[in-house]
Amino acid sequence: MKTIVYLVSILITAIYPLVNAGADELKIVTTTSDLAAIAKAVAGDKAIVKNICRGYEDPHFLQAKPSYIVRARDADLWIRIGAELEIGWEMPVLDGSRNSRIRPGTKGHLDASENVQILEIPTVPITRAMGDVHPLGNPHYWLDPLNARRIAGAIAERLAELSPDNAAFFRQNAVLFQKALDEKMFGTELIKSVPAEKLWAMTEDNSIATFISEDANKDKAGGWIKTMQPLGGQKIVTYHKSWIYFTHRFGMSVAAELEPKPGIPPTATHLKEVEEIMKANNIKIILQEPFYSVKAAETVAGKTGARVVVVANSVGGDREVVDYVSLIDLIIKRIIEGK
Amino acid sequence: MIPALWIPCSCSAADEETTTNTLEEIQRLRSRIETLEKKAAETQPAASSASVLTNAAAQKSPLVETTLAKGWRSFQSFNPEISAIVDMFYHADDSADGISHVTDEMSGFGHSHSGEGHDHGAIENGFNLRHLELQFSAEVDPYFKGTAIAAIDLDGAEMEEAHMETTCLPYGFSIKGGKFYSDFGYINAQHSHQWDFVDQPLIYQLTLGPHGLNDVGAQVSWLAPTPFYLLAGAEAFQGKNDMMFAYSGDSPLPHHNGPRVGVGWLKFGPELPGNHGLQAGVFGAIGRDQEAHDGDEDSNSDHWLDGNSMFWGADCVYKYNSPQPHCKGDLTLQAEYFNRRKDLKMIANDLNPSLVGNHRIDDQDGYYLQAVYGLFERWRGGLRWEQVGLINTTELPDGSREDFGSSYRAGVMIDFTPSEFSRLRVQVNRGSYETADGREPVTEVFLQWMISLGTHGAHKF
Repeated sequence: MKTIVYLVSILITAIYPLVNAGADELKIVTTTSDLAAIAKAVAGDKAIVKNICRGYEDPHFLQAKPSYIVRARDADLWIRIGAELEIGWEMPVLDGSRNSRIRPGTKGHLDASENVQILEIPTVPITRAMGDVHPLGNPHYWLDPLNARRIAGAIAERLAELSPDNAAFFRQNAVLFQKALDEKMFGTELIKSVPAEKLWAMTEDNSIATFISEDANKDKAGGWIKTMQPLGGQKIVTYHKSWIYFTHRFGMSVAAELEPKPGIPPTATHLKEVEEIMKANNIKIILQEPFYSVKAAETVAGKTGARVVVVANSVGGDREVVDYVSLIDLIIKRIIEGK
Repeated sequence: MIPALWIPCSCSAADEETTTNTLEEIQRLRSRIETLEKKAAETQPAASSASVLTNAAAQKSPLVETTLAKGWRSFQSFNPEISAIVDMFYHADDSADGISHVTDEMSGFGHSHSGEGHDHGAIENGFNLRHLELQFSAEVDPYFKGTAIAAIDLDGAEMEEAHMETTCLPYGFSIKGGKFYSDFGYINAQHSHQWDFVDQPLIYQLTLGPHGLNDVGAQVSWLAPTPFYLLAGAEAFQGKNDMMFAYSGDSPLPHHNGPRVGVGWLKFGPELPGNHGLQAGVFGAIGRDQEAHDGDEDSNSDHWLDGNSMFWGADCVYKYNSPQPHCKGDLTLQAEYFNRRKDLKMIANDLNPSLVGNHRIDDQDGYYLQAVYGLFERWRGGLRWEQVGLINTTELPDGSREDFGSSYRAGVMIDFTPSEFSRLRVQVNRGSYETADGREPVTEVFLQWMISLGTHGAHKF
């Protein structure tokens, strides 16, 4: 017993000075690669940003491995998607890190979901017989570029609080990130004549579709909204309930999922129902992430003549996807390809 | 424009006021914001991106926030988290007196001699309700988190864990106190519902009993600031394990003050690329141990031993987390080696007083190796190989020495996890056990089902 305490104290005194060098830089750890991409854009060279879940992994099914704990141990700011997406592994990592600066409720813990629009918040009492329904609403909100815009603002504000000397720098970076998204979304010309906020507001009820068809705006409109215009009002089928934010922003809707209930793999009887829905609605696209098996989608596609679109839903999930803008670029490219 | 400029200064003023004032202020501001938002939305729906950013409250600009769900912010999660786990299985084996009888009689691993004598944790042929585990856990305050777990079985309830742990200590330290599972090794700190096989590894069952090392005490642990994962822990326990750290203090056995058991361990985890995770550890423990025996089987103790028991060992776990959902393609490899030594002195002997002062020394060891692989979505298959008694000697107080052989057991399991809240498992064991009556081969079959109700915290690596 005494020997152990003695050995431990020797270890502490020996190791501490060696590894505590260079502690000035802000260290940000995000749960997902998308949050890391946005945090990098906002923090610039004033912080080191690391993420836990890589773009090709399913954030629902990570395991709290020791190296995650090491990352969390050194963090000044922890940013999570929230809405229970990381429920299976976040607390063991935070507990294991012994880092009191980033525990939930502290300044160093930013729950991005508190700053975005959350859809599908249950309005009726839920039971687990409904599958893996998130009681706080659907957590896949990062696929809505407007939410990415909001996350950037929230990160800038939190960083400004943690490092007041660089507040202006972070806010300016967030504005640049938001401007870049505005331009990608609506085209450079359109945002010159119409304030971006007004345009984003019109995407909420899809009145943007009529707006960009008007003669005055037709030639100015560009970007993602223009590219996606032909798909406006269309219904698609997805594997998991993870694309509703994307379809919501681009005026589309999801008619059915291949999963019979969230988190339950496809069954033959359910796929039959999906086929019926697809035929009745003339649905031509089945959209899913690369980490799910394509077997179910291909079976249904074979019977309905639909196209299976497999595309990364996170930064790093595909070689082309290096930041937030290229993520949305790729998703749109894949959906549009041979539509 | 007006609301955006107005909100930041009011908010910063509110920050400095007392809680009650702040709450009132927030309430007032909230209604003010709503009125202004409404007005702004009617008159001029645009705000510059700079104003959207000025602070979090300003983000409530009508354009970015109109559709933000109202219910979200009022949501309160359960405090504490409460869960109940029901762990049941059906068991059948081909031995004459049941598997528990066989493992009780294994040479070199003499069963408990000083406990209350109830056969807790014994596996019966037929239905077994292992327990209903009731768990409560929460952040206590900004300084502690707490956990209370009661295990209820047909014999009654038992306090499995009741402890608090610091969350606020600097330099990677944490202190835990209460009744808890020792964190040495890998499987010891896991509850039975976390095991990948129905039954406990043989070496743990034979040396520490069905609950492993679970006792009242305190733990100090330290996460080193190294570029890799390095966690060191020291624990002191009162010493109430019937198998290895038993204590009665009743005459003629001497009295010892607690804590009577000390444990130390070290865990190491390198930063591996991709989806690979590894954790390896070493551990050791030493503590007081007392035994009372009934040599002539007249139901009265007639000789008493007192001394130290110690164990040491190593553990290693490798996990591959495949990108596929529902465990498909996931691989877990797990191994532990455990070596124990009991060195007890004869304190009194009514049958043969000449042995008093002599020692009985037991040296035994064992290990298990297991692999679990995600065969399909939600389906896993596993193999386990175990051996105990590679070292298996007893030096008796009369100076004689006994060498026993080793025993082994092989297990195969397949489990199906319909959702995160339920699991079904089939397992077959084939073992060959070295007992006092000779070698006994036993085949066992298990069918297990477990359910989890309520909010159960995530598990560690």
